[in-house]
Amino acid sequence: MMANYAMAFDYKLCINCHACEVACKEENGIDLGAKNHRLWIDEDGETEGDFWNLARDKITFIQMQCQECQDAPCLKACPNGAIYIDDNGIVRLYKEKCDLTLACMKACPYDARYIDEKNAITDKCIFCADTRLARGETTTACQITCPAKLRYFGDLDDEESEISKILRERKHFTLKPELGTKPKLFYLE
Amino acid sequence: MSVEVSRRKFLQGSVALSVAGASAISATNLFSSEHASNKHQPTDSRIPSTITTKTGTGEAVEVATLCEMCVNKCAALARVENGVITKLNPNPMFPKSKNMLCPRGNAGIQAAYDPDRLKYPMIRTGEKGKGQFKRVTWDEAYDAILNGTDKFPGLAKILEEEKDNRSSMLFCAGEGMAEHTFKQFYQAFGSSNWLNHASLCLQTVVSGYGVTLGGYPQSDLDNAEYIIMAGANRAEAIVTPDTMDCFKRTKGRGAKLVCVDPRFTNTAAKADKWLAIKPGTDLAFVLALTYVVFTEELYNKKYVANYFNGLEDYKNSVITNKYTPEWAEKITGIKAKDIYTIAREFMMHAPKAIYYPGRRSTFATNDFQLRRAQAIFQALGGGIDTKGGLIFGKKLKLGKHEGLEPLYARAEARAVSKKDHPKKGESGYDDCAIVSGGGSWIAWRNRYLEDRMPYKVRGMFCYKHNPMMNMPNTKKTAQMLKKMDLVVTIDTMPSDTVMYADVVLPECTYLERTDPVKTFGGVEPSIAVRNKVIDPLFETKPVRDILRGLTEKISKPLFEITKKYDEDVQDELEDSDEAEVYAEFDLTLPFEGTQEEVNHHMVASVYGEEAAHKLHKDGVFYPDMDKFYKKIGANEHQYYPEKEKAYSVRGGKPKTPSGKVECNIANLASKGVDPMPVWKDEYNFKVEEGKFRLLTGRHAQFTQSGTSNNSMLHDLIMTNFIWINQRVADKKGIKFGDMIEVSSKTGSTRLKAYPTEKIGPDTLFFIHGFGEESSELTWAYKNGGNDNAVIEDVVEPVYGAAAMHETNVEIRKV
Ligand code: SF4
Ligand code: SF4
Ligand code: SF4
Repeated sequence: MMANYAMAFDYKLCINCHACEVACKEENGIDLGAKNHRLWIDEDGETEGDFWNLARDKITFIQMQCQECQDAPCLKACPNGAIYIDDNGIVRLYKEKCDLTLACMKACPYDARYIDEKNAITDKCIFCADTRLARGETTTACQITCPAKLRYFGDLDDEESEISKILRERKHFTLKPELGTKPKLFYLE
Repeated sequence: MSVEVSRRKFLQGSVALSVAGASAISATNLFSSEHASNKHQPTDSRIPSTITTKTGTGEAVEVATLCEMCVNKCAALARVENGVITKLNPNPMFPKSKNMLCPRGNAGIQAAYDPDRLKYPMIRTGEKGKGQFKRVTWDEAYDAILNGTDKFPGLAKILEEEKDNRSSMLFCAGEGMAEHTFKQFYQAFGSSNWLNHASLCLQTVVSGYGVTLGGYPQSDLDNAEYIIMAGANRAEAIVTPDTMDCFKRTKGRGAKLVCVDPRFTNTAAKADKWLAIKPGTDLAFVLALTYVVFTEELYNKKYVANYFNGLEDYKNSVITNKYTPEWAEKITGIKAKDIYTIAREFMMHAPKAIYYPGRRSTFATNDFQLRRAQAIFQALGGGIDTKGGLIFGKKLKLGKHEGLEPLYARAEARAVSKKDHPKKGESGYDDCAIVSGGGSWIAWRNRYLEDRMPYKVRGMFCYKHNPMMNMPNTKKTAQMLKKMDLVVTIDTMPSDTVMYADVVLPECTYLERTDPVKTFGGVEPSIAVRNKVIDPLFETKPVRDILRGLTEKISKPLFEITKKYDEDVQDELEDSDEAEVYAEFDLTLPFEGTQEEVNHHMVASVYGEEAAHKLHKDGVFYPDMDKFYKKIGANEHQYYPEKEKAYSVRGGKPKTPSGKVECNIANLASKGVDPMPVWKDEYNFKVEEGKFRLLTGRHAQFTQSGTSNNSMLHDLIMTNFIWINQRVADKKGIKFGDMIEVSSKTGSTRLKAYPTEKIGPDTLFFIHGFGEESSELTWAYKNGGNDNAVIEDVVEPVYGAAAMHETNVEIRKV
């Protein structure tokens, strides 16, 4: 392994601006259209009560994208063996092996995949593996542009990396831990 | 924490960011041959064949530039592969934008490759306003400006008929780094009619702080412990570095943020406390805060003793007028006990406490007084020119660049008619009390339409400005444009205003030009430059080159007219050589040389050759940058070490001529303006039964109408929705997505409904910049509602700013 890439989110800082989404689409050539997203922002919680007495503390914006499961349901579900984990610990796809059975999409508990019609494959966030990382950069498009500076991207195998340090120092959680998918996306408390 | 995650949920979406209804946009760039029509040119190898382009792994060039998707000027590094811009990344070296680009900044590529862009010069062939043009060469366009066509007169005829009154041409411009270049043309031309965006934007806030503190300060949100953000929405209306600094330490992490807004915005969601307020009543809120501070003696006694003028007068006024929190509760809707708490907490944290000045359009007619009251309240805590408070900061010098300002004897003074005998309490001018540099747009327009000009204004030059969309009462703007004999627009897009032009000069986008170098003052001052990333596409040019070409055409012929009518020039010609006299009137002079050469000189003459080269390469420069600039982490950089930061440059002393905070300004009284901020009954929030107050504003994904045709941003927000209170909507049987007609005395517009409790029962809101009428705009044409078709042209009395939140409207489901 060259690296074991992961991402941590200081998720409460998010202002729901969608810079990350635009950066991702421009970097990775994702088609326009509401259904084509490698990443998206979920709004959690609703306002309650009437205007002058609005209960409002529950609203949080949550950064969503492929959770880079170390035990990935999508990988196990694919009948063609098209999904693999690359040298950087990223869940990837052999494009030529994908014939759109969509088993991965159904298996993914995080709704992370969408159909990339242009290339006739299922696509998802791959940490800019074939664009930025392939150019030798060590940042992702979403991480570098985020105005709230809430995204930490780095190598979990390097104990001195910022992400390793931050995960040692701060409490964090993963999404749907009960499923045992072992995500590598961490949400900082 | 359990999070219910689903892409489907996302698709149904929140409406502030509604993606409801999948996009119908094809992935193919409309430029490409498949979609080629008359409007869209066939494929050019410099234009990508798809809207988004995947970054490749081959050779790439990186160019440092500055974003122009809004007014912030964040630093970007453009990646160019095979002559195509494939990505805009944030430039980490700029202290103002600290390594970020917002969604609009990221979508800047689509501005360059917008298939609807203006591509070549055009002159009008059909009826004015109908958008019928023919393509011409640059020389033909310049010639039409000078000599006219069978459809419109040229400058020569106009100036001949107006006997060289240069003021018979109006010049107007939107904000931008090259506004200065265009202004040089205005100055050389010799007109005195200049209008810019200020009176539609931040005129009253800048001036309110200016007369009170001597300058419009910045906010050290990075170090403040307590922030009141009223009528500003930094989570959505992005301003750098404020947006980045503001939310880092809220919610128990070192700073408390109190948001005051008649709408539950994203800023409200991110704040520690949100107070709903009735629109236009913020002044009562500030006066009540001030009342608490005076009666409980919470102010900074030392600061006040050193740096205040007229404190006792103001204190008397606030106390004898009984601006109590209980009084303010009735006016604002904010609970008295909250006002007491906030005043006390603010002063407890002062000087590390900020009443955020904001930078936005004028909303209420009392805005100037509101800003004065805010500034005084801030100063009472001593938080002026100090860490964690409002700061003046430092600005790095730039070298000089020569302009040209000839004097034309026949040029009339600015068309602002001064009243001979203003009554007490009445403004000294017909339109407003004080005429600022940027003028009063709507007052000027209305006076022009009503034939109340002291002389004839016959035409206008309009640069990067969209009066059809940017100011209240679109109908009147259309009338004004129709009434002008000659309208010349310089723009990148076929905007609604361009549709009314006689001559259209296509400018290239910000990614295709170098603009005048700029110095950015603040706690961490720097100089930054916008470098050209790619050569201009089609036949477009930077405004500087456009003006060079134009002035080469018109300068001499217009001088002939001056010779005929200008007695001073005639006198001069008797004693001197014509070439010598002409040199003073040679309009081409300001545009000699390239922008790159001018920029180099302006930096090298102060900081040396190496600095100029570094600035060009990195996009950013400041002395000792080599020593100071450091990467601290993936998300953090050091620009200056703590002890080098310019938190305090005057030891707390205000920048007014007296060096004091001015509470009571007699000079204002002489102009019919209240010398101290006071509340008046007419400021009370009033809406007739069955009507609503219309609010407008911004968000993070669009910048006014300037980005309305951006395919990527349009993909994020398909259209604008009108926010209507949920219970009111239920009563009226209005459901999400229903088409609503909004109307006022001014006019009407239609857009879809978004019922929500995030807005009060007597107010409505929708985002500005939608609903354009130019059919040349693929994505923006008739998409959503245009606020300015409905907003009444209410003139703010002090500076003549457009008061945007003073219109009551009716709605109807259609
Ligand atoms: S989040 Fe979904 S797509 Fe990503 S690795 Fe896990 S199962 Fe696969
Ligand atoms: S760029 Fe950052 S702040 Fe903006 S939506 Fe994405 S994660 Fe949130
Ligand atoms: S705030 Fe956004 S649009 Fe404005 S200059 Fe910065 S990146 Fe560009």
